[in-house]
Amino acid sequence: MSSPKRSDEPVWWSLFSAGGVCFAVFLPGLILALGILWPLGLLNSSVLQYAQLLSLLQSGYGLTGLAFTGAVICLPLFHAAHRIHHGLHDLKCGYSSATKLLCYGTAGLLSVLALYFTLSLLLKY
Amino acid sequence: MNTPVSARKPYQSKLSRSWWLKHNYYRLYMLREATVLPLLFFIGCLLYGLYCLTQDAAHWQSFQTFMQQGWVIALNLLAFAASLFHAKTFFALFPRVMPLAPAWLMISGQWLATLLVAAGVLLLFGGWL
Amino acid sequence: MTEYQLLIQRYDPEHDNEPRLQRFTVPGDHTTSMLDALLYVQQKLDVTLGLRWSCRMAICGSCGVMVNGIPKLGCKTFLRDYHSEIVIEPLAHFAVEKDLIVDMTQFLAHLSAIKPYLINDYSGTAMHKQTPAQLAKYQQFSNCINCGLCYSACPQFGLNPEFLGPAAITLAQRYNLDSRDNGKAARMPQLNGKNGAWGCTFVGFCSDVCPKQLDPAAAVNQAKVESAKDFIISMFKP
Ligand code: SF4
Ligand code: FES
Repeated sequence: MSSPKRSDEPVWWSLFSAGGVCFAVFLPGLILALGILWPLGLLNSSVLQYAQLLSLLQSGYGLTGLAFTGAVICLPLFHAAHRIHHGLHDLKCGYSSATKLLCYGTAGLLSVLALYFTLSLLLKY
Repeated sequence: MNTPVSARKPYQSKLSRSWWLKHNYYRLYMLREATVLPLLFFIGCLLYGLYCLTQDAAHWQSFQTFMQQGWVIALNLLAFAASLFHAKTFFALFPRVMPLAPAWLMISGQWLATLLVAAGVLLLFGGWL
Repeated sequence: MTEYQLLIQRYDPEHDNEPRLQRFTVPGDHTTSMLDALLYVQQKLDVTLGLRWSCRMAICGSCGVMVNGIPKLGCKTFLRDYHSEIVIEPLAHFAVEKDLIVDMTQFLAHLSAIKPYLINDYSGTAMHKQTPAQLAKYQQFSNCINCGLCYSACPQFGLNPEFLGPAAITLAQRYNLDSRDNGKAARMPQLNGKNGAWGCTFVGFCSDVCPKQLDPAAAVNQAKVESAKDFIISMFKP
């Protein structure tokens, strides 16, 4: 029997797994703070005001900032892309190499965008 | 010698698109996979916030106003629930994929990490750090 | 004795174009298995009912059927655990030959594709030695009875019959983890393909239905880790 072609899935699965860990470990606290408590006014501190936030970033940003963006935006994006891509297969909704490119491509583009924002913050101050 | 005619006529049913509705186990699986949808919404918020941060104080103010809308909070509540459900399923799968330590230890260790991160984030943004 | 209502899926390739359900009433007490009930139907009510069975003790793996939509061994499932109607169908995702008998050809082909035997260049007559710790590494994965229930529980196999599936990949792991075996390099190409370990999305139902508690889903996902390692090693090879 001829052996099948090696799949490139290890790459996507590794990103998916790393993103899954980030989604499970970092996101609950972050969503609770930024998405729920802060908008409801229950996080009544000055830290999340523009000037304070910037001075906070200035004091300890740099590589930490890039790592933060990677952990809460980029990797979770690839996690989501992977699940959506396989979800299309599960739901028989046009799973193909085109949808694969679309899913991971979008995740890659948005990641680049997020890293660009982070870097420009870094260089600005 | 003549070959006997085969009476075989195997019946192959096809899986319908709605296969996952047929059993609770599959429904929970789809729910697990769907946790990424509200996650994507929150990541969108983060991207928007990051963008506003690169601009100026007025932009940041409009980001806060955006986050304060009822539907945004509702979706983020959903995202929070989704992140917890994802965590529950993901933490349970991890020790089966990489059995490095007893499952209960790995699962509680991962929850501890989530808890510590949440506490850290709340302390930081609450101004206690 | 209680009376139970069985709805059994019938399919006669010589007369039917598609399966239909047929109702039977069977008596049963707390010791009556689903297989007993089916054999009662065959012996007392309708001699044409086709089904597979042999050992009646959950070891031959031939009596798998869907009971109310869940893959079960007929001999390990009891009427006492069911109320109202019980729907019995042939194992899902396989082609039905007749009534409850399915075509397992694909399943067997997948099993043999991963070379499920010890591969080594050992030619002596002395016994292989294996420590209890070495045995423990693969023992859990070696209890498979090839019943195919996990394939009926697996939507990925249902969607893509080329997917090697839970039992085959578990069997590959079983041999790859055996200290007496050197055949991993020969098995990895199958696992590395898109229809190998990567066809799985960890639905996990296979592990729920496995009558021998092998946890095939864990084995498949451990195979993904192995395949990922193999992927990295291959990048450094010419
Ligand atoms: S892994 Fe379990 S369910 Fe699958 S064929 Fe083997 S014994 Fe049956
Ligand atoms: S008859 Fe052998 S496993 Fe059920």
